[in-house]
Amino acid sequence: MSGAADGRRTVTRAEVEDFLYEEAAVLDAWDYSTWLEFFEPGARYEVPTTDYRPGWSLHETGSFVDDDWELIQARVKRLKSRKAHAENPHSRTHRSITNVRVFDDAEGNDEIRISAAFIIHRARDGRFDGYVGTYDHLLAVTESGLRFRRRRAILGHELLTAGARLSFIL
Amino acid sequence: MTEATVGVDLPLIVEDWDRLTFRVNREAYRSDEIFARERDQVWMHTWLYLGHETEIPEPNDFKVRTLAGRPLIFVRDESGEIKVFLNSCPHRGTVLCRENEGNSRMFSCFYHAWAFRTNGDVAAIPGAEAYQETEEFRKSMALRTVARVDQHEGYVFVSFDKDVPPLLEHLGEAAEYMTMIEEQHVGGMTTLPGAQLYSVRGNWKLAVENAMDGYHFSPTHNTFVGYLRENGFAVTDDDQYVYNLGRGHSLLVLTGHGGRISMIWEPRFGEDERVRTEAHRAEMVERLGEKRAHYVADESHILFVFPNLLLFDIEGLSIRQIEPVAPDETAVRAWQLVPRIEDAAARALRMKTVVSFVGPGGLATPDDIEAYEAVQRGIQATIGASPVELDYSDMSRGMADEVKGVQGRSIDEGAMRGFWRHWLSAIGRDDALAVRGDRPAAFLEGRKMP
Repeated sequence: MSGAADGRRTVTRAEVEDFLYEEAAVLDAWDYSTWLEFFEPGARYEVPTTDYRPGWSLHETGSFVDDDWELIQARVKRLKSRKAHAENPHSRTHRSITNVRVFDDAEGNDEIRISAAFIIHRARDGRFDGYVGTYDHLLAVTESGLRFRRRRAILGHELLTAGARLSFIL
Repeated sequence: MTEATVGVDLPLIVEDWDRLTFRVNREAYRSDEIFARERDQVWMHTWLYLGHETEIPEPNDFKVRTLAGRPLIFVRDESGEIKVFLNSCPHRGTVLCRENEGNSRMFSCFYHAWAFRTNGDVAAIPGAEAYQETEEFRKSMALRTVARVDQHEGYVFVSFDKDVPPLLEHLGEAAEYMTMIEEQHVGGMTTLPGAQLYSVRGNWKLAVENAMDGYHFSPTHNTFVGYLRENGFAVTDDDQYVYNLGRGHSLLVLTGHGGRISMIWEPRFGEDERVRTEAHRAEMVERLGEKRAHYVADESHILFVFPNLLLFDIEGLSIRQIEPVAPDETAVRAWQLVPRIEDAAARALRMKTVVSFVGPGGLATPDDIEAYEAVQRGIQATIGASPVELDYSDMSRGMADEVKGVQGRSIDEGAMRGFWRHWLSAIGRDDALAVRGDRPAAFLEGRKMP
């Protein structure tokens, strides 16, 4: 399956998979400087709450993460600090990304919408927590590759169980 | 001690007015016996925050919610009245409503198809002719209610004990701060969908202490303080105070920890918000008068209403409910409260700003959660310690001022001491308070607004 964008070129699922796998590796390696390069300036990062329903705007509801570009940068700066106590020492994360789908229903002609299933295992404090959900991303299509325009992680959980938190990037 | 004593036989609180120390026995965070006592003596016999009436705005809207481990249905009946039922079929005890939320004229039990109206009345019992005295039987099988339900400014409280004092008497001075929130905007406030439901591996009292603890703000939230400073806000702990409001309630008043959407502008909020803030202030002064507008707008408040409600009236407003699950586990539920009437740009800024701080995905709350969990793990180290004093946590900060009658600062631990004294009494263990030296004639209680 492929999605058309900008009339100049077609984006294949393989290209999207490569992008997501690369990002997962960068996040698991805790390489946040490189992670920012996956975004276009002005991008957003969103994690809705577990009662989220499709169509909700995070501007109108509560959420877990509602970061504009400035807050994404503040979040990265924090995570790189030794004083981000919730992530110092860092969580060990292990990400699996599957069920990648590419849609051609994005509003702009220079972007595509994609979805994927994620499973993230996080080890810390002698425990393993699991995070399962769906990515619902808008990707800007450029000649030099894909970039996040909106990076949204939707949890499949009914609630966050004890010990689970979103102090790392979902 | 001839043997390691674990326990609740030791004083739970030791306050020493000669040495100016206040110590809490760490069994208070760990013990199953104390946890059971809290459930029985506190949660079953006081007002508990259940939810906000704006969560169920329309007739037949409902939410299910567990309080004190008991599954409840929070519903607005057909006539618009708020009702609270045990979420358990009176027939055999089956969970009646298995949806988390919705709108329904009936609650039907799937097991034997008994059905109930949203006012609790039996609507249908299949094959009812098989029962004697059918009408009386139907009445006896209405949904079980909680003993008391009442509300203040839209905050709905329940009690499992019918003999609690009236809600307003229980709330005492805390009621006024809830009213001040409602007065922030013309048209009052409403909750929004998008509830943060999470859980922490720590005792519920650690969450209460943390909220009343201005001392932790700078070290724990170092990265958030850095973010505020970079964005032009002069973060300070000066001239900020904490108050025991009586009945276990307490209030932290902050003016130096961050701006307030629509009330105290800071550069990160942007120029449009500066204009809106000035206009809103003028409107508030007109509506409330200069002095009242000052107290409503210029202070951030963190209000703890004993035992399970925290109101964070800070950058924006969050309602946080704490539900103890086990000695070392606490469920947390948080809702954002916003002005009913607010323009879209202000609302978007508010939502972004609030969740940038609070909640398990914010830039600050995860470090608080780290603190509760690190304390809960760390206090395993002193179980049965010898000498026993090692198994106590210290909350002495500010006692030197307290004996002089000086109001406790936000970075002191006076609100925690007030909470713990009330807690000890509430669990029926006044006998476990050891007082050494001469207690000052009166503790400072309440807040006198000039």
